[in-house]
Amino acid sequence: MNEPVVLTIPSSPEHLSLLRALVGYYAGREQFTIDQIDDLRMAVDESGVQLLRRIAGETVRLELARTSAGITVRVSATVADDAPVIDEESFSWTILQALADDLSVTVDGDEASVVLTKNRLEGLAGPGGA
Amino acid sequence: MSTAYTREDTKRLFVELRNTDDEARAAQVREALAQLHLPLVEYLAKRFKDRGEPLDDLVQVGSVGLLKAIDRFDLERGVEFSTYATPTIVGELKRYFRDKGWAVRVPRRLQELSLRMNKIIAQLTQVNGRAPTIQEIAQAAGVSEDEVLEALESGQAYSTTSLDAPTGEEDDAAVRLERIGEDDVAIENLEYFASLAPLIEQLPERERTILYLRFFKGMTQSKIAEEVGISQMHVSRLLTRILQFLREGMEGDADY
Repeated sequence: MNEPVVLTIPSSPEHLSLLRALVGYYAGREQFTIDQIDDLRMAVDESGVQLLRRIAGETVRLELARTSAGITVRVSATVADDAPVIDEESFSWTILQALADDLSVTVDGDEASVVLTKNRLEGLAGPGGA
Repeated sequence: MSTAYTREDTKRLFVELRNTDDEARAAQVREALAQLHLPLVEYLAKRFKDRGEPLDDLVQVGSVGLLKAIDRFDLERGVEFSTYATPTIVGELKRYFRDKGWAVRVPRRLQELSLRMNKIIAQLTQVNGRAPTIQEIAQAAGVSEDEVLEALESGQAYSTTSLDAPTGEEDDAAVRLERIGEDDVAIENLEYFASLAPLIEQLPERERTILYLRFFKGMTQSKIAEEVGISQMHVSRLLTRILQFLREGMEGDADY
């Protein structure tokens, strides 16, 4: 089954812990090491905080999908305008880059997404035996 | 307490409280209402009794919530007073733990698992040359993966006490920090972010080093743990706390 896992939370900071918890549990089952799990938790938190700064919609959405090499994490929300949510010169960007294997920040219309991927360490197979 | 009887009394007392102009009488009625609902406060306070605070204290705190609820309750809403008061009382109890900076105490079972996990993580990291997965920890600890995840989660959520408590790791860490510091001219990388510089200066040296090693040198938490001489779980908690501090600091006031 490769259906993504999706969680939508109301757009306020106190609900971000739910996103952190979910990504932690998900990655834990996907044979990531505890270092990497923590990276993902922090990355989701940071993405959420940055999206909330510019939020125009009612919700923040987290989508987790398994890939052959690891997982893709997408945090998205409706934002006020189409300026980049995270500037590449910012500290936030530096943090996210250190936490993810691959990072992209996109704005499509008023929908902003932070998408990051994290790969399993070599030799650690996913539950699907990938 | 006899519920039906209490409900009737409650309603009658609230009607009287709202209609009386006599302040002394109003105080008596409030007192009566508080007495009537003390069992509710006791019941709710008991839910927090595993967190290391005397039950009496918790009942006191809960009573403050009860009084607030009595003052704010509106009969016209058509809900039972106990329904209305419960979140206010629970909120007061939660705030008590939060304000004390203890966060919430971890249940003993998770505390013990958390301590054991620290050792297991260190052993596995040494044997494998990398941090373990949840499955590996679960196997080594003889518990389920869910329990491991739960313990890790609680370690994060309830970190305040353990961060401030002496760990016995500190002396050793100080020596190692000095060593790291020497070849670390590049710490000024951190100060490239002008708005952060004053905040970073407020961080203790160890925290600054951890921040630098993780985000600018791309070192894993396990490697940092080894380098600085503290556990991986401790590094994890420190990083979370540092980021939170920087974030709050950029938005306004924050104390580390």
